[in-house]
Amino acid sequence: MQEKTFEKALQELEGIVKELESGNVDLDKAINKYTEAMKLAKFCSEKLNDATAKVNKILTEDDELKDFEVE
Amino acid sequence: MNINYIKISELNNYIKSILDKDAFLNRVYIKGEISNFKNHTRGHLYFTLKDDTSRISAVMFQSSAVKLTFNPEDGMNVLVSGRISAYPAQGSYQIYVDKMEVDGLGALYIEYEKLKKKLAALGLFSQEHKVPIPKYPEKIGVITASTGAAVRDIMSTIRRRYPICEAILFPCLVQGKDAAPDIVRQIKRADEFGVDTIIVGRGGGSIEDLWAFNEEIVAHAIYECKTPIISAVGHEIDWTIADFVADLRAPTPTGAAEMAVPTVLDINTLINNYKIRLNKNIKNMVNTKFIKLKSIKQSFILKNPLSMYEIKEQKLDSLMEILNKNLKNILIDKNNKLNSIKLSVVFKEPKNLIKDKQIKFDLLVNTLKLVNPLGILEKGYSLVECNGKIIKEATDVKVNEILNIRLYKGIINAQVTNIKEEK
Repeated sequence: MQEKTFEKALQELEGIVKELESGNVDLDKAINKYTEAMKLAKFCSEKLNDATAKVNKILTEDDELKDFEVE
Repeated sequence: MNINYIKISELNNYIKSILDKDAFLNRVYIKGEISNFKNHTRGHLYFTLKDDTSRISAVMFQSSAVKLTFNPEDGMNVLVSGRISAYPAQGSYQIYVDKMEVDGLGALYIEYEKLKKKLAALGLFSQEHKVPIPKYPEKIGVITASTGAAVRDIMSTIRRRYPICEAILFPCLVQGKDAAPDIVRQIKRADEFGVDTIIVGRGGGSIEDLWAFNEEIVAHAIYECKTPIISAVGHEIDWTIADFVADLRAPTPTGAAEMAVPTVLDINTLINNYKIRLNKNIKNMVNTKFIKLKSIKQSFILKNPLSMYEIKEQKLDSLMEILNKNLKNILIDKNNKLNSIKLSVVFKEPKNLIKDKQIKFDLLVNTLKLVNPLGILEKGYSLVECNGKIIKEATDVKVNEILNIRLYKGIINAQVTNIKEEK
């Protein structure tokens, strides 16, 4: 779960919601899927509301990635 | 007589102050031909502008010269604007040029149209080359000047809308003749560095200011870039070549940032919406199964398991009934057949059969008798023979011949006395 990108997680979440809504899933499987979807939703929310927000960077001519303050 | 001699510098400075005060001379627009062109190492340009009858010295400082979209040279006809002032050290006046363009009405516009047509023909603007912009990027490359409104608008918009995304600036020149190669260089760098989306652009300005984004090399760099590119050059009304080649064109730098990233609020809403849908769905599913289970539990069979047995019992009865009926029918059938045989005449009276055969035999004997030629004699007919032959016509015999007449019983010998012929 740690390696998963936000976009991929959100896509998976959407996929499960649509799959369950299609009504073609057994109850046993559906409950597993539901659990998984809720985990994905939590993961996405956490990533989204991550307190350690990224900052602006600048790639210098020496290929150094430095923090960049907008004037 | 007291004459006040003044220094040359004082005079020249006085003249300069007169010129500088003149509103008209503060901004003049002139056209002429470049001659004596010198490009000073520090970036200032010195040249003379002339026409058929007059000339004027001209200087263009580096700060203005960097904005040039062409390389001036001797013999070139140009349109310039600037102010007239004096250069006290030389005792000369000159024009301080701040803008210069190639003479010819809409020269840049014509060039723009020409390039646009050419690149369109090469397929650089075609839709099938455009790639979709990632919905949830993690890194965005921003290619623009490191100062000014554009970088501020782009960076702050990304921060505000989608703080989990990293914005990396690849600073570049955005105007002047060195801008295009610099933009190209940074596009390649960003592409190789690995970002999800690239925003390339600058704030508003004149057509000359934006010109770098109309350069062919920039168009090709955008076209060849593998990373999805959003162009954001100038204002809504400014359409540059870069805008046509880019995967997506934003009206402004702020607009580009808005197109590049979603807002946290939107995604939170989306995730919540997914959660609601999931909960509703699973609840519905469990409810449906529960109702089904309940109805199964209440079914007659489960409530009266014996009834299952009763049904089978009943069926067995009915099957046995059919079986019995069939057996009986077969017996009756066979019995009927036997009876009918018993009732037949032959079986009842065997003598009758003999009598019957006797009658049949007599009938046959009688028929045989009728067929036997001798049988006819019995009825009184007789048979006439002569010399061993049976006589059928009177001419078969002659007078005096002896005839044998065979009767039913016995034979008479007679002699022919007369013959009567019958025709």
